[in-house]
Amino acid sequence: MSKLFKKSIFWGLVIVLLFSLSLVVFAQEEMSELEKKTADEVFAKADKGQPDPAWEGKKFTIAVLASGPHGAISGSLYFWRPYWEQLTGATYDIAEIPFGELQAKIFTDLATGMGNYDCLIGPSFFYGDYIANDWIIPVDKYFEDPRMPKWDRESIALPIRELLQWGEHWYGFNNDHDGMVLYYRKDLFNDPQWQAQFKEEYGYDFPVSPTTWQEVLDIAKFFNGKDWNGDGKTDFGITMHLKVGEQGFFNYIALAGSFVCMPAPGDDPTKVTRYHNMFWFDPETMDPLINTPGHVKALEVLTELTKAGPAAMVGWGLGEAWDVFLRGNAAMCFTFGDVGTLSQDPRVSVIQGKLGVAPIPGSKEVYDLESKQWVTLEEPNLVGNKCGASWHGVISSYAEEPDMVAHFLSWQATPEINHWNVAWGWTGIDPGTTYDFLEPVGTAKIEDYTTTGYNAEDITQFLDAYHTMWFEYPRSVPYLRIAGAADYIESLDIHMSEALTGQATPQQAWDRAAQDWNRITDQLGREEQKEFYKEAIGYSGE
Amino acid sequence: MRKKRKWTNIILWIVIAVAMIWMLFPFYWAVITSVKKPADVFRLSFIPFVQFQPTLENWRSELQMRGQEIGRGLKNSLIIGVCSAVISLCIGSLAGYGLARYKYHRVRNRDITMWILSQRFLPPAAVVIPFFLIFKNLGLIDSVVSLVLINATFGIPFAVLVTRDAFRDLPEEIEESALVDGCSRFQVFSRIALPLAAPALVAAGIICFAFAWNEFLFAFIMSYSKAVPMTVLIAGTQDTQGIQFWYVATRMLMAVVPPTILALTVQRYIVQGLTFGAVKG
Amino acid sequence: MHKGKRVPLKEQGKHLFIVPVIVWLLVFTIFPLLYTLYLSFHGSRFLQVTKFVGLGNYINVLSDYRFWNAFRVTITFVIFSVILTVGLGLLLALLFNRQMKGVQVFRTICTTPLFTASVALGYMFMIILYEEGGPVNNFLQALGANTIPWLSHPRWALISVLIADMWQWTPFAFLVLLAALQAAPRDLYEAASLDSASGWEIFRHITLPLISPTLGTVIILRTVEAFKVFDLPFALTNGGPGLATRTLTFNVYTNGLRDQDLGSATATAVILLLMVLAVSQVFFRRYGSNYD
Repeated sequence: MSKLFKKSIFWGLVIVLLFSLSLVVFAQEEMSELEKKTADEVFAKADKGQPDPAWEGKKFTIAVLASGPHGAISGSLYFWRPYWEQLTGATYDIAEIPFGELQAKIFTDLATGMGNYDCLIGPSFFYGDYIANDWIIPVDKYFEDPRMPKWDRESIALPIRELLQWGEHWYGFNNDHDGMVLYYRKDLFNDPQWQAQFKEEYGYDFPVSPTTWQEVLDIAKFFNGKDWNGDGKTDFGITMHLKVGEQGFFNYIALAGSFVCMPAPGDDPTKVTRYHNMFWFDPETMDPLINTPGHVKALEVLTELTKAGPAAMVGWGLGEAWDVFLRGNAAMCFTFGDVGTLSQDPRVSVIQGKLGVAPIPGSKEVYDLESKQWVTLEEPNLVGNKCGASWHGVISSYAEEPDMVAHFLSWQATPEINHWNVAWGWTGIDPGTTYDFLEPVGTAKIEDYTTTGYNAEDITQFLDAYHTMWFEYPRSVPYLRIAGAADYIESLDIHMSEALTGQATPQQAWDRAAQDWNRITDQLGREEQKEFYKEAIGYSGE
Repeated sequence: MRKKRKWTNIILWIVIAVAMIWMLFPFYWAVITSVKKPADVFRLSFIPFVQFQPTLENWRSELQMRGQEIGRGLKNSLIIGVCSAVISLCIGSLAGYGLARYKYHRVRNRDITMWILSQRFLPPAAVVIPFFLIFKNLGLIDSVVSLVLINATFGIPFAVLVTRDAFRDLPEEIEESALVDGCSRFQVFSRIALPLAAPALVAAGIICFAFAWNEFLFAFIMSYSKAVPMTVLIAGTQDTQGIQFWYVATRMLMAVVPPTILALTVQRYIVQGLTFGAVKG
Repeated sequence: MHKGKRVPLKEQGKHLFIVPVIVWLLVFTIFPLLYTLYLSFHGSRFLQVTKFVGLGNYINVLSDYRFWNAFRVTITFVIFSVILTVGLGLLLALLFNRQMKGVQVFRTICTTPLFTASVALGYMFMIILYEEGGPVNNFLQALGANTIPWLSHPRWALISVLIADMWQWTPFAFLVLLAALQAAPRDLYEAASLDSASGWEIFRHITLPLISPTLGTVIILRTVEAFKVFDLPFALTNGGPGLATRTLTFNVYTNGLRDQDLGSATATAVILLLMVLAVSQVFFRRYGSNYD
């Protein structure tokens, strides 16, 4: 009897295999009609430059994160490849790398001189190591090169524009623009019944578009533990992805900016001085600032905020955290631009049409490093962020045909093509240039987005929030781009997790982080790091 | 006496049932996850059609868009697994036999065994870079050959230890009479000892294969595109929007099928080996 | 008949059998090991050796609280993992060491966990143990018990890793021990049960001594593997929350391949190697005679 059983298992598996193969045989058209049509139009309009005939038949390799032919960041490479081949006669290989292993793979390739990758489409926090080791080439020379398609550098939001440069040179090409904002359920926030109850419990009017973290905390605590969507289960105030390694540290950075970055006195509040607009280190001594009172208070706020959501979220990655908000069980979600796109997809979201988006709130209390005292401001200290990777292409020093790579990257950076990428959410490329924002602040039309499936009101909220944060907030948190950036961040991530799970107090956690940071700095060479850091943040000594 | 046996049987079947549920549950979960829409993955639902609407979209997407890549991944994993297991078994069973039958003098048996076993002590993460540099100089990066050699090396200790135990359990008289009859030691080994120790060989082979199949770190570092095995593909399901569990499920299932078929075909051999041994003894 | 020849019959071919393994291992492991040792005495950045630092790396590593945390996590994991997987494996092997229908099927099913890549398993357990809507917590709720914070509480996170590990490796112990039990002569069992010896006595006086060498092998193999566990904590919890599931190999990996600090990585690896050697010395002193 067992022999028969075994035989049936065996044949069962064979049948499964054959079935799967048959699915492959009956292939379907992957690209939708509308995508193709709009892409053709955009291709015709975009500046093509003058491709060098010497490039015909040649190939280069792009290293990019592995999301597949229709996934975030890598998807657009697959999509546009046939167009570029048609345009230049050359082509490229797409080497996909698992997300968690990007650093190991790319740095090993560069450090060992293997040079498998000609073009690197990676996260912006690799720049420190890229520059310190001369692994990428400056691209200023291509701006006047007639072969290259023209793209509009000035149109990029300043915080992101800074990420494409280092010192006086440009290294990167326009592509993705990341930042964190606060998503909320506008149907809930505008509901008079909840507004009245809030006023009763907290004593002030419900802030429909919160501007301070204290307000956010109150709102989160208010909605947490109540059943406000009528499904019989208690719902949550806020959801975040705080698992170690799942980019929860960006939440911290976005939040802490307003507690730590003191505006400079005088005419220019954006001036970078020793004590103003400083976030990471003291530029004169390279001492970490992570355990200064401003940071500790920020971590305390984050710890409080964590209690106003599902307890499990300290172990959640992006998928789990966003899902709670998208399926309507959380009042707020504090994260990147992806939720804007995902909220419109009926396969994963039930909240299309109910999306509210606010630019990142600020804090009225800021710690002044100079006087070593807390300062209370009249208006909240609004500090924007460019949290996230802002994936974009750079050219490896080992590239054999850098000009060819530059042509491709410039072409993808042109307003028409980049805007098309932004409008179609599956590319994972978020808005960040004036071509993406709606009139009158930008040149985009609402139809660009509604035709690809966005709800008009939702996308307006989304774009307004980002635009406000990047064009109207006076300053943004400096992005850490020195050598060893990933090490510093990893330490921050781990100790933050300790504080959030009660294994350490915020002060203890940040003291440990400071200890780690000093160790890393000494290992890399304190003097070199200091000079590097000054260059990275534009500090000229004062 | 009969009552005792009845109770023992009942307990036995309960244990079997629990063990089966425990063993199969993750696979069941992988199967239903692979047919769930991404949104449903985070929402509790056990039974397809009743609690959620199953979809073949994940499978279709994987097989069509990534089909070629996945096919290559499976092929690479198979080649690496089988070849490295075979090498480990060849070298390992030789050594196992030697250690079981001889007393070495210059270096004692137990020290040799200790040294062989110690090959597994060093964390792979520490030796990955030296290996990478060696193979880079040999031009074997992104080649299945380097992964076969590495996995064979790591499998040898298992093969040696397991086969040694098996050979030791075999009665020596049969072999000695064969030797007296004029067979060389090697013939005794290959014609008498090996078949009798078949179950252990198979068990060792399966284990070596399993380790090679599951190996992630070296596979990741050594392969770029041509030699990528399934483990690296599974890790590649994490993108900017988090881990895509539905693809993890599909890939995990696909990765489990070939070795299971292999184990099934080999099961018969185990049975044969046993009955053969019983008849002989 | 062949007495008096150069080599006694029994000793013929002695070195033939052992030479291949020695040559192979020398070629493939000596150089990497020596290079690792060399690296541990030097500083390095991005695969370039920078300068000789003597014991500097070791001192750094041993005075880092993260090392001791990982040490504690690793030891805890090893102890529980070995006891659980080998214990369960032995129980199952004993239970299935009999003629009965369905054993073959069960054995085949038991081999499948071995073929699931640890990385995939880690991700799968993430959804299975998903606290808000996963099957396990819902099952607990249905029973009226409290839900368990599988992945968000430091202690439970380690338990989750142990559960996944147990699921994956118990079959290994089961397979090897079963093979050992079945290689043992059947008449011994028959004689004993005819004598109406109790099950426990049979086990203690006959079975256990018979399989003792194999049991020892399984224990040492499992122990060594458990010391090096990496894929599971990496995929399931990424070493978190905080540092709660960071094992020593995890540290080696992040130091060496992410932070590109090969000096600390190799120093940690060498320390880990020494630890495992020490443990195995204890083992070999006890069971070493089996290997002569």
